[in-house]
Amino acid sequence: MSKFSIPENSKIIKGNYYKDTTGSQNIKKVNVYRWSPDDNKNPRIDTFEVDMDNCGPKVLDVLFKIKNEIDPSLTFRRSCAHGVCGSCAMNVDGVNTLSCIKSHSDINGDLNIYPLPHLRVIKDLIGDLSNLYKQYESIQPWLKSSKTETEKQEIIQSQEDRSKLDGYYECILCACCSTACPSYWWNGDKYLGPAVLLQAYRWISDSRDDEKKARLKKVADELKLYRCHTIMNCTNSCPKGLNPAKAIGSIKKMLATS
Amino acid sequence: MQYENNPLTPHLDIYSWQISSLLSITHRIVGVLNIIATILICFWVIIVTTFDLSYNTFFLFINSYIGKFLTIGLCWTFSYHILNEVRHLAWDMGYGFDLKTSKITGVLTIVGSIVLAIMIYIIGKKLI
Repeated sequence: MSKFSIPENSKIIKGNYYKDTTGSQNIKKVNVYRWSPDDNKNPRIDTFEVDMDNCGPKVLDVLFKIKNEIDPSLTFRRSCAHGVCGSCAMNVDGVNTLSCIKSHSDINGDLNIYPLPHLRVIKDLIGDLSNLYKQYESIQPWLKSSKTETEKQEIIQSQEDRSKLDGYYECILCACCSTACPSYWWNGDKYLGPAVLLQAYRWISDSRDDEKKARLKKVADELKLYRCHTIMNCTNSCPKGLNPAKAIGSIKKMLATS
Repeated sequence: MQYENNPLTPHLDIYSWQISSLLSITHRIVGVLNIIATILICFWVIIVTTFDLSYNTFFLFINSYIGKFLTIGLCWTFSYHILNEVRHLAWDMGYGFDLKTSKITGVLTIVGSIVLAIMIYIIGKKLI
């Protein structure tokens, strides 16, 4: 049965308030979710007053400014800072996105930053995605070909077939979509979630892959696939502008027509 | 799992509502209401056809404010469910997944369901 309420140890308590020390006139209040495994306390929301006159344009720049100038213990993941790696996925202003490509000037009022929803927190803004990675592994995201070694050296694909992967191969697996999905919140242990299903579709529709039928059969399951109720939070949150809902719809359609 | 006992990050209370998610949960709630309403209507038909006395009680109830609210409300729940089901049908056929399209059809469903509910109520009134 789904658990809609949050467990006792996850309830948010009042956090620290870091007053601005620069005397700047252009202050933005930034509320950040904090939790550390080192003490036995509940998660808290810390509020930082950040001088926006001396800050880069993106939400990630705000986080770096806090880490560099206010609280060095603030923990978050980032790598490329250009929307390519998917490390800095988090919940900014109520919607999952990559903080490195999200402008803080788009957000009126206080800036609220939380980790990706409904995950076990590792520290501060880092959630545990190992379940998602395990599910990703389960769809066997690699080319499966029945061709011989020499034939496999170059498998030719027409431009038309290649274009079928457009809008799917761009996925960087940042997990914004899966952790935005209420179905995935309540049934994340069984339902594959939008990110993994989009990847599954990417391999199903690859003309060079020879195991389309087996892949479809594997994913055709009441819980794995049909927990998608087209809520479309996934498509609404995808920072790369992809459409996981459409990918899942396409798998359902393939299963219905095959 | 290594982090099994760590706190769960907030979900329902921090995630912003989208038109699509709001319509989706409404679709579910309205679906449940429709099932309950259908069962009650069936019981009503049985009662009315069996005892003529109870019809008067029903007539008084349905013309009270609560009764009118319930009738119009049910007209809306049925209209909404039907119109949103049309969206689902289109999705099942592979159309309308585009973010913009789905938002437009979502708004059309809301507006359409209100118009349809009023129409059904007025036509129903005229027939009676």
